[in-house]
Amino acid sequence: MKAISYKTRVSRVLFAGAIGVTALSGAIIAGENEFGPVGQIKVDAKKAELGKRLFFDRRLSGDAALSCASCHQPDKAFTDGLALSKAYPGSKGFRNTPTLMNTATRKNWFHDGRLGTNLNDVTREMITEDYIMNMDMRLMQERLKQDPVYVKMFKDAGYGEPSNGSVRKAIPEYLKTLTSRNSPFDKGEMSESAKRGFALFKGKAQCASCHTGANFTNDKAYNMGVPENPEIWSDPMRHMTYAAFGVFMGIENILNLRRDVGAHVLTHKADGSDIGKFTTPSLRELKYTGPYMHNGTFKSLFEVVSFYNQGGGQDKNKDATIKPLNLTFGEQQDLVAFLEALSGDVLNTKEHAWKDEIPTNYTAIKNWRAAKN
Amino acid sequence: MKLKMKISALLAGLLVSAAAVGMAHSGSNVPPLAPLGDPPIPLDNKQSDAKIKLGKMLFWDPRLGGDASTGCVTCHEPDQGWAFSDSLSRGYPGTVHWRNSQTVINSAYLGKQFWTGSASSNESQAKSAATGAVAGNGESDVMEMRLAFIPEYRDLFKKSFGTEYPLIADAWKAIASFERTLIHNNTPLDKYLRGDKKALTPQQVRGMSLFNGKAGCIACHNGALATDEKYYNLGVPPAERWEDDGLAQITFRYEQYAKGVTQKMYRKIKDDAGLYYRNKEKADMGKFRTPPLRYTKYTAPYMHNGSFWDLKEVVEFYNAGGGSNDFTDGTMAKNKSPLIKPLGLSEKEVDDLVAFLDAFSGEELVIEAPKLPNYAPLPPPASN
Repeated sequence: MKAISYKTRVSRVLFAGAIGVTALSGAIIAGENEFGPVGQIKVDAKKAELGKRLFFDRRLSGDAALSCASCHQPDKAFTDGLALSKAYPGSKGFRNTPTLMNTATRKNWFHDGRLGTNLNDVTREMITEDYIMNMDMRLMQERLKQDPVYVKMFKDAGYGEPSNGSVRKAIPEYLKTLTSRNSPFDKGEMSESAKRGFALFKGKAQCASCHTGANFTNDKAYNMGVPENPEIWSDPMRHMTYAAFGVFMGIENILNLRRDVGAHVLTHKADGSDIGKFTTPSLRELKYTGPYMHNGTFKSLFEVVSFYNQGGGQDKNKDATIKPLNLTFGEQQDLVAFLEALSGDVLNTKEHAWKDEIPTNYTAIKNWRAAKN
Repeated sequence: MKLKMKISALLAGLLVSAAAVGMAHSGSNVPPLAPLGDPPIPLDNKQSDAKIKLGKMLFWDPRLGGDASTGCVTCHEPDQGWAFSDSLSRGYPGTVHWRNSQTVINSAYLGKQFWTGSASSNESQAKSAATGAVAGNGESDVMEMRLAFIPEYRDLFKKSFGTEYPLIADAWKAIASFERTLIHNNTPLDKYLRGDKKALTPQQVRGMSLFNGKAGCIACHNGALATDEKYYNLGVPPAERWEDDGLAQITFRYEQYAKGVTQKMYRKIKDDAGLYYRNKEKADMGKFRTPPLRYTKYTAPYMHNGSFWDLKEVVEFYNAGGGSNDFTDGTMAKNKSPLIKPLGLSEKEVDDLVAFLDAFSGEELVIEAPKLPNYAPLPPPASN
């Protein structure tokens, strides 16, 4: 029954989109620090549909090898199942691909929180960054103008002809549709173990001091002493990708570092006390998003819970609130059961994933000399 | 005594040929064809063995490109004349370029690089090609860091430039140093102009007179390099691929966008406006730099967009008085060079001229590809 009422809500949202309502409003969104469903975000249906095709189109990367969906796969709640992400050919990733579920509700993006403006900027960063999609957006615009399907979709969405600016609006519009739904937690259908876990979550285990609100994150960065993933330093391609990123972010002495500085790229504290801070992740859809932590260092949720139970890891900058929790084995199992109860529908149907074939070549514009560029 | 005589004979030969050239091209003050000496070496990038060795490896190394699949060699293939044997150059994966790839051979002599002289040196040409979206599409930060993770490169950069870790600007310097060894200056023509009268066939000698006289080639293809390095519109037709190839159409529009023309111009332009992109002067629309002629035997197809597939087609184009394009016929401009007029060459004369052009090329320059070193983990930092 819940599923049906959800579908009704979707059709209402789509209808609203069709008549041009684009305001962000969560019908049943939980308050800032309250736990509850994330809620739907109203979108402009045509813009979101365009954004969906763009998201799945490999021609949005420099050599047409990758789409957004190459790493953000619908079956895995828009992650890739790898400890460290793949990156653009010629580079290798040094962080775990974060989920895009509920990303439109975040206050900042990336594990280090380096962008705190909006998804328009995040989209630009992902498409143009050399180790991610390495796309010159001017060339991207001309590729899109060559595809009659896009010419029509951009026009129908009210954007006029395909342009860089509109790509950076349409993809975020699509991302707004990626919201959690129908988790046992949201439906009030949690197991007894999960219920006990929820009580621990808010109480003895103190998870709720950071994992708060409908999306279970306060969007702030902390140092928990998560161990380094040694592969970043042993695999020269990962190491060089991280080092090039570090140079770009203005990190000093980068080739002598053997650690991911995290939010230091944003706050650049002279005493280095911000080194090793990473943004609190959402806890939604964890069933599909392992391995965990910013560097994928833990394979299972039980490992994560054990890590917190022992008081986190070793780091001179470790947050003072991270202390041993003294949870029993059973309590840890209950916590895991609760975390799993925060996973809902996998959004891998046509509604959220582009299923039609997207061409990889380009037809010529007929009568080219007479056509306006 | 014997040596002295040889030298004077050589000098006499030089004087005679110079005189013949000067006489043949009456009424214009252009430098005659001359044997080609050594290339200039910039004071801020002197040659060294280590640097040349490094530059050769880097020329082949695909890691100096966006997705580590394209090196200099990708569009400057040694067995394709150190150019690319298609009308438009290969381009980065997922793209096609929009101009014909020029040979690297003798590029060291040119004052400016690229078809419209947009790079001032081999060094800056290498950088532009490695970073352009439809060429190498590499990002300097990433390419520089890749080099740091290749121990052999760390050593060679240190030997060449004294740095602890490679700098990307030094990579372009090393490549330029290697390119300054790709010299072609002992062609039949060079030998002839140095006094070896047997170096050219009688037909080629006839062709040379036409080159210097009736055909008027010398007006622009003059001096030791056979180019005045100036810019002309000959009425070369637009690239055919823009009519029927979607990928080429994309790149064509991208170039208008990237080169900063006005929106109005972006909408209506349908041919490569050449020098115009550099200065936005209407009078320079459709102009391209006179290319040098040595090594052309191996660098087909010809012209800035590879319109012609052999040198005879090129000569016939000139014989017909050039062609027409949007920048000659008034569609966008009327910039056809007044030097380009029907030549009235007979079929035999065309053949003579084509035979002479062959004398600008000697033996094909073949080099064995270097073995490229692998990445390795960076040694642990020194404790401090």
